Amino acid sequence: MKTQKFWLFLVGAVLLVSTVAGMLVFRGRTGAATAFIYRDGECIRTIALDDVNKPFSFTVEWEDGCNVIEVERGRIRVAEADCPDQVCVRQGWISNSVVPIACLPHRLVIWLESADSGVDGVAG
Amino acid sequence: MNAKKLTRLALLTTIALIIFMVEAQIPPPVPIPGIKLGLANIVTVYAMFALSPGDALAVLVCRVFLGSVFSGQLMTLFYSMGGGLLCWLVMLLLRRILTKKQLWVAGVFGAMFHNVGQIFVAIALTRTPGLITYLPVLLVSGILTGAFTGLCAQFLLAQLDKTGQNGGPAD
Repeated sequence: MKTQKFWLFLVGAVLLVSTVAGMLVFRGRTGAATAFIYRDGECIRTIALDDVNKPFSFTVEWEDGCNVIEVERGRIRVAEADCPDQVCVRQGWISNSVVPIACLPHRLVIWLESADSGVDGVAG
Repeated sequence: MNAKKLTRLALLTTIALIIFMVEAQIPPPVPIPGIKLGLANIVTVYAMFALSPGDALAVLVCRVFLGSVFSGQLMTLFYSMGGGLLCWLVMLLLRRILTKKQLWVAGVFGAMFHNVGQIFVAIALTRTPGLITYLPVLLVSGILTGAFTGLCAQFLLAQLDKTGQNGGPAD
C-alpha cells in the first residue's frame, strides 16, 4: 500500500507537468496566417486569412449535416452548425494557432498556421 | 445474476444517467470540448470499489450508451466509450493498491485517462494528430474534476460503511 503522501506527490507532479506543457503550447503561438479546413483528415480548403479584405461566409455540406464558416481578415469562426452540441459555434472566432476549432459530430477541424511557426511551434 | 444485484445495478445506472443528463444541461464553462465536471464518474468509482469491476463496467457501458441515445449525440458515444473504457481499465489496476482513504486517487486517474481515451478517439476519427495539443489542458481539468468526484465517492463510501449500508457483493 502506498501512502497518502505518495499519491499527493504523484498527482501534484502530473498536474505541474500538464500545466507547464499547457502553457508552453499556448505561449507564443499567435499571429495568424493560413486557415486549413479539414474534413475526415482531408484538407478541403485553405484560406490565407491576412489576404481577406472583405468578410465572407460559406457553407460546407456533408451527408450528415452542414457548417457555416465565416471569415474576416485575420480570423475565422463557425457561425452556424446543425450539430446538437454547438461546441464549435460557441468557441467563436479564432485568430491564432493555439486551439483549433473542432466540430466532432461532423469530423470537421479548422486549424490555423502562423507563417512563422513550424514544427517547433508545437514543441514550444 | 439475482434480483437484488440486478436491481442494484439498474438503480446505479439510473443514478449515473440522471447525473449525466443534468450535467449535460449546464453550459460548458470554457469553449474546449471535453472539459466538464464528469459527475457520473462518482458512480463508476463507487461501483468499482464497493461492488466489483464487472458491475462497474456494466453500469459504465449502459450509462454511456443510454446517455448518448438520450442526448441525441451519437458521435459522443465513441468519445465517451473510448474514454470510459480506458478509465475503467486504470481503475481496475488501482483497485488493488488503493485504501479506502485513497479513493480520490482513483477519481483523478480515472478522469485523466478518460481524457486521454477521448483525445485518441478524436484523433483517430478526425485524423488530426494536432488535437494532441488539447491534452495538457484536458489533463489539468481532469485532475481537478477527478479529485472532486473521487472525493465525493470516497465520502459516500465512508458514510455508507458507517451506517452499514454499503451492501457489498450481492451474490
